[in-house]
Amino acid sequence: MNVASFEHRGDILHVRIETERLDAAAAPNLKAALERQLSDKPNRAIVDLRQVAFLDSTGLGVLVAMLKMMDQPGILAIAGAGPAVRRLLQITQLDRVFRLFDTPDQAQAALGG
Amino acid sequence: LVAEPRVLRIPALLGSVPILAAVVREEGEAEGLGEDALIDLELAVVEAANNIVAHGYADAAGSIELRAVRDTGLLIELIDVGSPIPASLLDNPPTVGPDAERGRGLAIIRSCVDRLDYERDGETNRLRLFKARG
Repeated sequence: MNVASFEHRGDILHVRIETERLDAAAAPNLKAALERQLSDKPNRAIVDLRQVAFLDSTGLGVLVAMLKMMDQPGILAIAGAGPAVRRLLQITQLDRVFRLFDTPDQAQAALGG
Repeated sequence: LVAEPRVLRIPALLGSVPILAAVVREEGEAEGLGEDALIDLELAVVEAANNIVAHGYADAAGSIELRAVRDTGLLIELIDVGSPIPASLLDNPPTVGPDAERGRGLAIIRSCVDRLDYERDGETNRLRLFKARG
């Protein structure tokens, strides 16, 4: 099974994470997939985390890596973060780096797609 | 009355860590921890177990034992025979910048538990993470 699926909506790359646990075991596969998909360096992307019930610091590190793969200054939005994901973002203060939205559609509208 | 500890042992593999997470949730729910406390304790235990796999055993073969003790909260003890955790790191977890891709684990563990103890006993590491009920 793929760890994520990818879709372009206008200029915005949508990444839907398709694993329930985005953890240290899943992180290398996601990072490799992102390196393939972000070779054209988009500057706006939305990561759909609605299927992710658990995120650890290694999974989070891949999202930081993703932002650094983008054209700078890039905007990386996170859509559909559940309570465990939000808690980790809050502890690490990365909720100030990523923009959080309830749904991918809301993120798409806010990012001007 | 303190319940008997629940004990299990897993191979020190990243892919086995979710087994520990599931037991933490089960025991935490049985002890009556709220969802916020369960989120924090699961996260702390996963970060600690990931560190044992990646740093303690440096991805070599080994095992991790978990002991769960329910007593006015949930105490999780992780026991391994990998390399010790440097005391300076545990007492003062490094702070990393927003673009760091790693190095947040120990600070997360500290943020998520009410008490954290570590001892090295011969070749054995014992890390105790406690989350209080209510």
